[in-house]
Amino acid sequence: MRTLVLARHSFRRIRPIVVGMAIVLAGFQFLLTQVAVFLMRNQAFGLLSSLVPDFIRSLAGPSMVAFMSFGGVVALGYFHPVVLVSLLGLAITIGTEPAAEVETRFDDLTLARPMARHEVITRTVLLLVATIALLLIVMTAATWTGLTCCTPASAERPAFGLIRSLATALGAVVLCWGGIALAVAAGARRRATAAGLTAVTALAAYLVDYLGRVWDPARLAGRLSPFHYFEPMSLIAGEAASAANLVVLMTITLAGVAVGYARFSRRDL
Amino acid sequence: MIAPAIQLEQLSKRYGRVTALQNLSLEVATGEVFGFLGLNGAGKTTTIRILLDLVRPTAGRAAIFGIDCQARGLEVRATLGYLPGEPGFYGDSTGETTIDLLAALSGGAVDRRRRAELLDRLEFSTADLRRPLREYSTGMKRKLGIVQAFQADSPLLVLDEPTEGLDPLMQDAFYGLLSDARSRGRTIFMSSHVLPEVERVCDRIGLVRGGELVLVSTVHEIRRLAGRRVRASFAEPVAAPVSWPSGCEVIDVSPRHWDLRVHGALGVIVTMLASLPIADLEVQMPHLEEILKTYYADDSRHGAANHAGSSS
Repeated sequence: MRTLVLARHSFRRIRPIVVGMAIVLAGFQFLLTQVAVFLMRNQAFGLLSSLVPDFIRSLAGPSMVAFMSFGGVVALGYFHPVVLVSLLGLAITIGTEPAAEVETRFDDLTLARPMARHEVITRTVLLLVATIALLLIVMTAATWTGLTCCTPASAERPAFGLIRSLATALGAVVLCWGGIALAVAAGARRRATAAGLTAVTALAAYLVDYLGRVWDPARLAGRLSPFHYFEPMSLIAGEAASAANLVVLMTITLAGVAVGYARFSRRDL
Repeated sequence: MIAPAIQLEQLSKRYGRVTALQNLSLEVATGEVFGFLGLNGAGKTTTIRILLDLVRPTAGRAAIFGIDCQARGLEVRATLGYLPGEPGFYGDSTGETTIDLLAALSGGAVDRRRRAELLDRLEFSTADLRRPLREYSTGMKRKLGIVQAFQADSPLLVLDEPTEGLDPLMQDAFYGLLSDARSRGRTIFMSSHVLPEVERVCDRIGLVRGGELVLVSTVHEIRRLAGRRVRASFAEPVAAPVSWPSGCEVIDVSPRHWDLRVHGALGVIVTMLASLPIADLEVQMPHLEEILKTYYADDSRHGAANHAGSSS
């Protein structure tokens, strides 16, 4: 009960950011469906594909061809770096709230009451899952609205299952970084320290994954990055959603949460 | 036997190589108003944070109403109201949402009439409560802190520098709240730098210095032990005695003026003065502030010596 009271208070504080992001991301997803319609009407997919140099086409594999399609353009909003960064930023912001409450001494007010420390972490987990799920649902709804109401019947609309798989994969990688942020924040005295450390780690992990994908000697190192287990292009290319990828990402998330509980319950505030 | 409101046994806390508390033992009886004094960094706030289980002791035990603060922290915290030295209010929340939130987290239902009375006594208007806290002055935030600490009418109130930032009128209103709480049998444990305030409201004081408790006594006893100041002026020059009665400490002596500190009964000095041409006589009770400043001065020297020792 107290956890929900605290969660409601925390959500009220981030509500303007969440509402703003929901509007912008939903608008982007909707507009991408219209971009796809525009490209289709101008028969630009074939042209775009022919502009890609052969060596890039061979490097990227069949997913590149899949991306240069109606479905690929519609799906862009589920792995575009700016969308990914904005969702990661929100997850890190929410995940580092325990450190912010230690820093501002808000904890002195809440934990001086009959409230257990684990409730603070549970609040953060609830908020993280609920907020990310809400945004993904809004994004998916916007994509589907664009596809069903404003797309010609001749368009090769992606299946709803593909959109759902893309949103699930995006949610899993974002929650994974939220869990890492929570693990770091549970032992930190400053939110900026926790958020900065998580953000730099995420950047490094993103680059390691990128190097692993394009440079064979770094392939094994790429497996250490959580981003390695986020493969939207494979989904667009028609491969089934990888349960193994989801398991790895959820394991990292749960490990982060467990570390968060343990560190926060033992520390001096 | 009734358990003491607060019981600290050999409490120690170390942060790495820094010792914040050292074997601190103390008991505060139920219904008592206890002043916890010390210079900045002496260990007052660390002690309070151990009571609230915000900080875990390195050694020793802390209990409130006989319940261990660390093992059964939830039960302990259900019995107390806490005013932090620097309340961490969020500037974008209003006063109303803040005290509503904290009331909801307190467990027991907050009596709306009691809260309304508190707000009234601290001159909080409805309009004030609806403003975001970033618009509050330091004193307003302190008043809101007092409301959230008192609103659940807890058996124990732990107050860290409660009047910091309050104007004199609000200080009086706060003393009124303390007096009411005491009359209802509540126990109050407060840290303060304002010695006249401690003298006015506390039954007993404890002085912590360098993490150790160096003095625990009633305010009355401390003042009695410190002795009274006796100032005598003479109509004509008099000779000072060769030896002074026991318990009599000379501060300043001139042919027309004696300034003495007398420990214990005044009879001996009054007998001595009776034979002299007294023009004026003033007997002054010592202020707690003067007495404790002596301890504080010792503390500064102690700190300086420690610092010199650690840097050598």
